Amino acid sequence: MTAFDVVMQQIVNGLVLGSFYALVALGYTMIFGVIKLLNFAHGDLYMVGGFVGFLVLSAISGITGGGWTGVAISMFLSMIAVGCLGVVIERVAYHPMLRAPRLSILITALAVSLVLQNTVLSITHGQYTAFGADFGFGGVNLGNVFITYNQMILVGIAAFLMIGLEVFVSRTQYGRAMRAVAIDKDMCQLMGINVSGVIAVTFLIGSALAAAAGTLAGAYYGSVWYFMGFLIGLKAFTAAVIGGIGSIPGAMLGGLILGFLEAFGTQLPGIGSEWKDVFSFAVLILVLVFKPTGLLGKSEQERM
Amino acid sequence: MQTLKLLTAAGLIGLAAMGSGAIAQETMQIGVQVPTTGSEATYGQDMINAVQIAVDEINAEGGLLGQQVSLVTGDTACDPQQSVNAASRLVSANVVGVVGGYCSGATLPTLQIYGDANIPFIIAAANSTQLIPENPGNAFMINSTGADQAAKAVEFLSAQGAATLTIVNQGDAYSQDLATLASEDWTAAGNEVVSIETVNKGEQDYSAIVTKIRSTNPDAVFWTAYYADGGLLIRQLRQSGYQGIIAVGDGSNSPQLFDIAGQAAEGVFAFSNPTADFLPQAASFTETYQEDYGNAPGPYAPLAYDGMKLLGWAIAEAGSTDADAIIEVLRSADGQEWLAGPISFTDVNTLARSNFIVLKGEGGAWTRADE
Repeated sequence: MTAFDVVMQQIVNGLVLGSFYALVALGYTMIFGVIKLLNFAHGDLYMVGGFVGFLVLSAISGITGGGWTGVAISMFLSMIAVGCLGVVIERVAYHPMLRAPRLSILITALAVSLVLQNTVLSITHGQYTAFGADFGFGGVNLGNVFITYNQMILVGIAAFLMIGLEVFVSRTQYGRAMRAVAIDKDMCQLMGINVSGVIAVTFLIGSALAAAAGTLAGAYYGSVWYFMGFLIGLKAFTAAVIGGIGSIPGAMLGGLILGFLEAFGTQLPGIGSEWKDVFSFAVLILVLVFKPTGLLGKSEQERM
Repeated sequence: MQTLKLLTAAGLIGLAAMGSGAIAQETMQIGVQVPTTGSEATYGQDMINAVQIAVDEINAEGGLLGQQVSLVTGDTACDPQQSVNAASRLVSANVVGVVGGYCSGATLPTLQIYGDANIPFIIAAANSTQLIPENPGNAFMINSTGADQAAKAVEFLSAQGAATLTIVNQGDAYSQDLATLASEDWTAAGNEVVSIETVNKGEQDYSAIVTKIRSTNPDAVFWTAYYADGGLLIRQLRQSGYQGIIAVGDGSNSPQLFDIAGQAAEGVFAFSNPTADFLPQAASFTETYQEDYGNAPGPYAPLAYDGMKLLGWAIAEAGSTDADAIIEVLRSADGQEWLAGPISFTDVNTLARSNFIVLKGEGGAWTRADE
């Protein structure tokens, strides 16, 4: 492989990885936008999404096979199930805390994360579960750059979901309500907007996107386990902050930037791959120092 | 099923206790320190099962020093912090000795705890050379160390015609130790180490590192860490079109590697401590294990079984539960045959011989490759 091939291949790698980060970061950023909560349980919803996808696929693979049809159906059902789980979590754990100090609800989010992780841990006994998707290794070879069909489909699905979300938020009544609630919750209430309905829809969509990413990750990488949400939760949070937390296009941009940083961070000459995370998090610190609102975030005026 | 068995066993013990009536039946507690949760839980459960078989045999023969033996489990989750808690728990349960130790990184901080409490510790699986200088003298390693494995790996990969090598580890005590040793031996043998890579535990996407490996195209890739992440790496390496030799260390010789890596695990070489499948003398052990637990013994079952039997032997020889006496007996072990071969120790309490064999992935299972 020439240096050019390596760069091209790392761009492909960064794009795939960045798509996962972006899908998870979107939920983080939407929920933060609407109720100013860093939902630390979000990575675990990704994990639960992976397991639900696995269960659905095991149930239907007899009929659909383990190919993309089966994975698409399991992704869809997993999105519905985990979306509902997200709404239930919001109603049970976060809703009573909305007027409490921010720190209390943040701690509640950590607790929810532990509950989800440990529930799956006790069911699976911490074992890795083979996902059972069966794609084959086919792909397109452009010179020395190899792009598998799976990678194309994966990035395609991620792009489709992100465009869908963008259309939903910018063009529909609900989307407008969501943006309004993000700006001023109390005023929305006075204007007759069903604020808790909007919050519920936000959790539904955010969790569903995490579930989509979880199912796709399980299918693409081949296995799921109870702790798979931890690292990606952290990375998605980083992506959301880089892009500007609260900003939907920012989360997509942040996810892709982080994906590329990791891909190229591994490749830095003379520096071992163990430095790649140092590199990514250093960029996070730089962004926070020089542009605390993130790349696409708007600075929020303190209201008296 | 297993719960049912446990309940039945508990019931029987209860009945036996009632039957014996006035005779005070004290049991001797032995600690088992393994991960029963987390990514390496399979190995840990396997080791507990094997130790339990050894205990059953010991108890059937009348126990130790007239007492029945019972086990206390400490779950390390393969995590240094949690293993410290597990070890403290075992110490406060007043165990006579401890068998186990799977992840080297998680075993390392427990050495001092058992040392301070003066409890004999048979390390059945963990084999990082970093454990050796930290051993206060009460721990005995019955698995060959990383140095033996690195030597075997270099010898075998050279014989396969490889000249350039990339080593991938996870930055923990065990995999980093093996990576460093293998790299030194590989260079000493006149070959070239292309690079040593480190990846995060729990990372799912290895594409960046895979691309780096493909761009340098070494003759062989040596994964020195555990099977769960190793399976993902192997899968992504083969998916990317890498066609060189892939070898994995003894932390990855699990049958589960085939579940995670699928087709990609075909032709992968693994260095392994002696497993039951490849020990002719272990046939009856395998049968008992299969009968009791419904599956075949895993890679560390024979060593865990030996660890318990060795400890039992030492307690019986010492004639007391006094730690110093037991440790004295263990030091004097002079090559008696156990399930996984003869055991005697060097001055630093490591196994005095190399026990590594080479396996190859074929048809979704390991087969012996070096005979």
